[in-house]
Amino acid sequence: MNPQSNDKDGVSRRGFFQLSLGWIAGSLAAAATAAAVVRFLVPNVLFEPGQRFKAGTPDDYPDGSITFLEDERVFLVRRGNSFRCLSAVCTHLGCTVNRAAKGYHCPCHGSVFNEEGAVEGGPAPRALTWFLVTLSKDNRLLVDKGQVVEPDKYLVL
Amino acid sequence: MKTPLPKRIWGWFARTGVGKSIFRVGLPQSNLERSQAMVSSFLLHVQPAKVNRHSLRASYSLGLGLISLYLFFILIGTGVLLMFYYVPSTTQAYDRMKDLQFVVSAGLVIRNMHRWAAHLMVLFVMLHMCRVFYTGAYKHPREFNWVIGVLLFLTTLGLSFTGYLLPWDQLAFWAITVGTNIAGYAPFIGPKLKFLMLGGNVVGQEALTRFYALHVIVLPAAAGLMVAVHLWRVRKDGGLSRPETVGGSVQTMPQGQLPTNKSYGLMELARGTTPQVGRDPDDEVFSWPHLIFRELLLFLLVIAFVLFLAVFWNAPLEEMANAIHPPNPAKAPWYFLGLQELVSYSAFWGGVVVPALLVTALALLPYLDRGRRGTGRWFARERAMANTIFSVCLAVAVALTIIGTVFRGPNWSWVVPWRTPPAITEGR
Repeated sequence: MNPQSNDKDGVSRRGFFQLSLGWIAGSLAAAATAAAVVRFLVPNVLFEPGQRFKAGTPDDYPDGSITFLEDERVFLVRRGNSFRCLSAVCTHLGCTVNRAAKGYHCPCHGSVFNEEGAVEGGPAPRALTWFLVTLSKDNRLLVDKGQVVEPDKYLVL
Repeated sequence: MKTPLPKRIWGWFARTGVGKSIFRVGLPQSNLERSQAMVSSFLLHVQPAKVNRHSLRASYSLGLGLISLYLFFILIGTGVLLMFYYVPSTTQAYDRMKDLQFVVSAGLVIRNMHRWAAHLMVLFVMLHMCRVFYTGAYKHPREFNWVIGVLLFLTTLGLSFTGYLLPWDQLAFWAITVGTNIAGYAPFIGPKLKFLMLGGNVVGQEALTRFYALHVIVLPAAAGLMVAVHLWRVRKDGGLSRPETVGGSVQTMPQGQLPTNKSYGLMELARGTTPQVGRDPDDEVFSWPHLIFRELLLFLLVIAFVLFLAVFWNAPLEEMANAIHPPNPAKAPWYFLGLQELVSYSAFWGGVVVPALLVTALALLPYLDRGRRGTGRWFARERAMANTIFSVCLAVAVALTIIGTVFRGPNWSWVVPWRTPPAITEGR
């Protein structure tokens, strides 16, 4: 068959390839530009406070206390010789929960959590998160907000 | 007797031809000049030389679209002025707001005007949408202009959302926190989208910079462009919608076939659809002065009202942003409180699914409701069904907004506004 012959719609094979090539090249260029712009907007370096912090010595927290650490938005919970750290960030939309007489209340949309951080009411979809607490070499409590643990995981001294 | 100074200046303009070089037509004296005044002016040629009397009727359009446009102008003017003092920095932004309030001459009034005009613009864009719906004005051939209108509505909300973040007060901080967390509930891309919006994991400087760029250039430019297209299409679709019975109604004719018994100026050519002439020519009047006068009057009223609000009521500025203590209750501005009420039941359903469905339904509306009848009249009987559905949705939205505004107290619990809310006990 003659490569220059026209098909029924009057589009030659060469014309078809030229058109396809044009469209493919144009789409690829547009997609690459869009991808580059989106990637540009994703920061490579974050100037944010670290996830790990030292929360003082165990003796700073009396037995049975629940202490709100403002700068880190966590509660440090001591019971006997066990230490745990509860996130104060509501799992609904990120407000800071308040300590209530029993459990925790979120002021933004009314979520209620019990002492273990489990949802008792309101729109929160998940329980508050517990973070890993360890003891550093210089006898300080070390909290890692990057490591989520189960509520029954304690640091026992 | 000496000629008064203004007259002498005007005379000089006329003699030397300077005046004519700027304004091709002087003050119009004849109908021909009235048309020329409109067509030969860059600023006026957006509008037709003649306008249907029905379109001028305040009881039909209520001027809502025009009011929204004027508020947009006021927002651009005051916004540019505010940019001369504002610094998008988490450490400086709040202080700059205080400077604007207490130190900068007229800063307080300009900031007040900006905030009140923003509130009014959201309100009037909503009212304009209601007007267009209840008069069936989104029907053929104006389907796509309705879609642009929906996009403009969303852009208006985006502008006000990014705007009230900039003072970096408590409202700003917690609005970003809640807003970006709602985005985080979007399926599949949620967490990535949230990271992209914040420019990180926490609400801070990166987020403020991003929202600032969106507020002062990206969204206004998009809105300006869409406003231009919106107005252009109003012209091309034959002016404001009007009933079939009113003279000069739009009729579709095959492309390239214009009646030969009339000569057309370039400005009157419209592809596919043109204003029909000859049926009832008495129903059209010259835009100069009938339209121009009304527009100027309305502009004066709008700016006077915004100024009145700005002089007597101060725009809110809450305490400085505090990442530890959300205000209790933490409330968004009124136009987001219906959404906030929904979100308080479920972030995913109320914050993602319901808004997405609503916006989709609004955008598709003119393609779903394809009946041609009942255009150009308020509450047309033929449209009883559509009007009822719309009214029910509207009533639910208004009810949710009222509940969110007055019936929600600390911890988003139910309160009755005419009783003092019970004191909250918080151990810390």
